[in-house]
Amino acid sequence: MNAIDPRVHQALDGELSPEALSPELRRVVQRLVTTAAVLAAQLPLASLEPRVMALIRRPVPSRARRLLRWVATPRSITFRVRPVWSLALAAVVALLTLFPVGREGPNIGEHEGIAQFVGHFPGAQSVHVVGSFNDWRPGSIALEDVDQDGVWRATVVLPAGAYEYMFVVDGERWVPDHLAERLVADEFGRENSIVIVRPARR
Amino acid sequence: MDVTGASDAEVVARVLGGDREAFGLVVRRYEAGLLRFAGRMLGSRDAAADAVAESFVRAYRHLASCREPARLRTWLYRIVANRCKSHLARRPIADVSLDEAPPVADPTDTEVELERAEQLALVQRALVRLSPEKREAFLLKHVEGLSYEEMASVTGERIPTLKMRVHRAREALLRVLEGYE
Repeated sequence: MNAIDPRVHQALDGELSPEALSPELRRVVQRLVTTAAVLAAQLPLASLEPRVMALIRRPVPSRARRLLRWVATPRSITFRVRPVWSLALAAVVALLTLFPVGREGPNIGEHEGIAQFVGHFPGAQSVHVVGSFNDWRPGSIALEDVDQDGVWRATVVLPAGAYEYMFVVDGERWVPDHLAERLVADEFGRENSIVIVRPARR
Repeated sequence: MDVTGASDAEVVARVLGGDREAFGLVVRRYEAGLLRFAGRMLGSRDAAADAVAESFVRAYRHLASCREPARLRTWLYRIVANRCKSHLARRPIADVSLDEAPPVADPTDTEVELERAEQLALVQRALVRLSPEKREAFLLKHVEGLSYEEMASVTGERIPTLKMRVHRAREALLRVLEGYE
């Protein structure tokens, strides 16, 4: 590869004035500046606003429909769980699959299950859970710290499926649940936790 | 309420507060740059329009997770950049028509416009010969005018890595362009 004189890079990175360069190096700088200017031309495309807003206004499919689509879509799932978490995973799976649904318990549909969210946030004023089950809207599912020991809990009924989620502490700090069954990187550069809700009734 | 002059943070707050239509301003404000970036990345106007439209819809649905609404532009570039890389992983640019609607000589075109179109075609051919990572780095730095700090936020890469990619992209572009001359 033909290396460019380092002073050309410095000039293009704003670390050196092009005036300090020889005419030959200035021509290289100018060549690259011109190349970028050519690429900076706007694409002759119609505005995307009508298309985007139409998609946004379209009603979001119901949970049942999304569940059906999720179930019908073939996918492979690989679980890699650290040994130290395997006990926690086993406990969560047991909780979700064997949770006794008593007569006084919540009314759970055939395709619904129970998810319990637990986090240790000592000193927090509020903790909410947000995720793909509530369109990432903060405020809709609050955790409670009844005995004020810093352990916040919420138990919710959700349609069976896999969901990404995070905790929102004091309304502004987004924290993944590191004890979750899985963690995945999302396209925004964050690490989301995964909870898998299995039907409570079989 | 007219939100045309509102800051990004104010517009985001309005949308999250239930004013869905205010998101149209986000689209109008950033679509030109995002379309240009995606178009240069993918070498296809149609693919760019699809990628950017899908990215806006995803951004709307996940707007509550935008931690720094004041840096909405960088966040949007991140979503589009990821969408472009996913697209390229499925369909490498070698399989994509570089210019699906090449400039056609029109009697009303001036000589300057025709020359500009030829220049653009030449530079685009050189651009698509770069790896997606180098292409992305060059475009973000020199065409979209992002700082290295903003590029790090968009790509998730470290600044020295990005500087190296930009340097390599400059060298490769010059070499390819010289080869065409």
